[in-house]
Amino acid sequence: MDRRRFLLVSALAATAACGGERPARSTGSSAVPLTRTDSPGSLPLHDDIPPIADGLSPESGGVLKILNYPEYVSPDVLKAFGKTHGVEVELTTFNTMEDAISKLRTPGASFDVWFPTPDVIGKAAVGKLLRPLNKTYLGNLANAWPQLQSPFYDEGSRYSVPYCAYTSGIGYRADRVSAGFGYGLLWDPAYKGKAYLIDDHREGLALAMLKNGLREINTEDPVKIEQAGTWLAELVPLMNIKTGIAAYQLVAEGQATVHHCWSGDMINAQSYLPKGVDADVLGYWYPADDLGVVGTDSLAVPASATKPVLAHLLLNHLLDPVVAQENFSFTGYQPALSAITPEKMVTDEFVTEALKPAIVTPDVYARSQQIFQISPAAEAVWLDTWSQFKAGQ
Amino acid sequence: MWALLAAPGAFWLVALFAVPFYAIAAVAFGYTDPVFNAPVPEWDPRYWDFTAFSEILTRSVSGDLRPVFLRTLLYVALALGLCVAIGYPVAYYVARHAGRRRALLLGLILAPWWVNYLTRMLAWLNLLQDDGYVNDLLLLTRLVDEPVRWLSGNPVTVVLALVYGYVPFFIVPLFATLDRIDPLLLEAARDLGCSGRRAFWHVTLPLSRPGLLTASAITALPMFGDYYTNTLVSGSPTTTMIANQIEFYLLGGTRKELGASLVLLLSALLMALMVYYLISSRRAEEVVS
Repeated sequence: MDRRRFLLVSALAATAACGGERPARSTGSSAVPLTRTDSPGSLPLHDDIPPIADGLSPESGGVLKILNYPEYVSPDVLKAFGKTHGVEVELTTFNTMEDAISKLRTPGASFDVWFPTPDVIGKAAVGKLLRPLNKTYLGNLANAWPQLQSPFYDEGSRYSVPYCAYTSGIGYRADRVSAGFGYGLLWDPAYKGKAYLIDDHREGLALAMLKNGLREINTEDPVKIEQAGTWLAELVPLMNIKTGIAAYQLVAEGQATVHHCWSGDMINAQSYLPKGVDADVLGYWYPADDLGVVGTDSLAVPASATKPVLAHLLLNHLLDPVVAQENFSFTGYQPALSAITPEKMVTDEFVTEALKPAIVTPDVYARSQQIFQISPAAEAVWLDTWSQFKAGQ
Repeated sequence: MWALLAAPGAFWLVALFAVPFYAIAAVAFGYTDPVFNAPVPEWDPRYWDFTAFSEILTRSVSGDLRPVFLRTLLYVALALGLCVAIGYPVAYYVARHAGRRRALLLGLILAPWWVNYLTRMLAWLNLLQDDGYVNDLLLLTRLVDEPVRWLSGNPVTVVLALVYGYVPFFIVPLFATLDRIDPLLLEAARDLGCSGRRAFWHVTLPLSRPGLLTASAITALPMFGDYYTNTLVSGSPTTTMIANQIEFYLLGGTRKELGASLVLLLSALLMALMVYYLISSRRAEEVVS
């Protein structure tokens, strides 16, 4: 980060922290550094929120507070961790990252571990919601994929360590789909009324872009974004398309034949199959050698943590391959660890051979594109374009 | 002394309606945090910014939200029509002809409320699947040649689901009104030569008009704000209602000021309907008295 940007970010952070002045309606530009894979960035540190010191003993007694999506960490893993360290683990859930940030910003609220997506880590760090990590407690970070040990969105892992990885592809019923694999499945009238998109503006529009050969899925160009909206609008009369985020259930039960979904959903779908239905009916398509959408989630320690040492230990615990695999068996979302390979997952009977493409590897991650944080002005265009699609336009 | 009795109600109204409503306005006319890109409510009306509201108003009058508003009005009108068609005969029967079974019938009408709404709707989702029992029955009775795709963005399903969810709200207040109609008035009509049908048309129906209006208001208002019924049984852009757009802006993304503005706009529309209801019910009461 150059000096000018650092000063800008610091000034805005001070404004956010102190209040007082009325901020303007969205200025269009971002107050937070927009990191990219080809221009990674170190997030700012704050003197008043130092990392914890080396060699501290973990806190014991009381409650370790976790802030996470529902069903996104194994209760057994948390319970065992709490028992080992003599604390009760309390889980608070959120549905969106905006919701999570709102909870973190609530005066008086405190959480020890948070599960953020990479696109919000920058603003959370600038806005003083996170405590910098002390990596002497995080020896298991070496188990993570090499690219994620110092990721582009948080160079040097100042505030976060990786948690799960997933791709965005097409989940399908293998007993009803046998040809035409690709994004075009969602444009195939043979599946009219049985096709679904992920109910997310960035994911949905990115799918339309990739299907039509537009590779800039983080574009801020309104023309390209609106073009993607036009492509998506084709799906309304052609497919009577629906939106949702329950592919794991809808594909398993047969309500959806093709469902744009996250890879973890199809792994989860194995647990939702009706009695007597074999897991071989589930399939997952992701581009074998072309650009696709990949995502990761992370773990961080909020600035408000009252048990920051124990929080570090939990982060390290979740990066242990054995613990991570146990956690994976509950969440269906694979940890971004080198020990988790497609072959091992098939051998260990975590997934069927047909669902092997649902396991993400460092190579897949490297050739794929992540959905990045974009400027508020561009975010507004993406949202409004998706809103028009959702309105049936 | 009597005024004091209104204090709890006044407190309720201020705490649970006026304050939250003002908070929505403060978000709609507020600002945006530059770091978190989150809404900052502006409590001082002198600093209100009407950009978001203006955008929503324009889109609702002549843009992409116009068909959504029209679709919402159409769905609610159809659902309300069905509520009248189903609810009036039921309420009439229970009030006038149920005799000793009245309490039992009222209990049965309210029975769906013994089960959680979401659970009931999820049960319907199973029944309405392509290979569900409803289609099995329709195929068995040869009413259809192939399964009806009830859950594939079907507007009929959305309207029927709204009726299913709200028809008890319609029946109960209407029953209360019909029950209060003095039977002597009907007897007088018959004595004066009215047939049963004419007595209903000229006596029962006009006298039940306040109840009809109340039942319609109680039913229609929550239908306008209902988003989960549509989400559960459809989820398709072809059936999106205005509450779904409010949900989209308020629960996802960073443009909550647009969601808050839509709430204000929908409230203004509903307030106009409420004014019509108040004027109509006053006139109806004048006719009755």
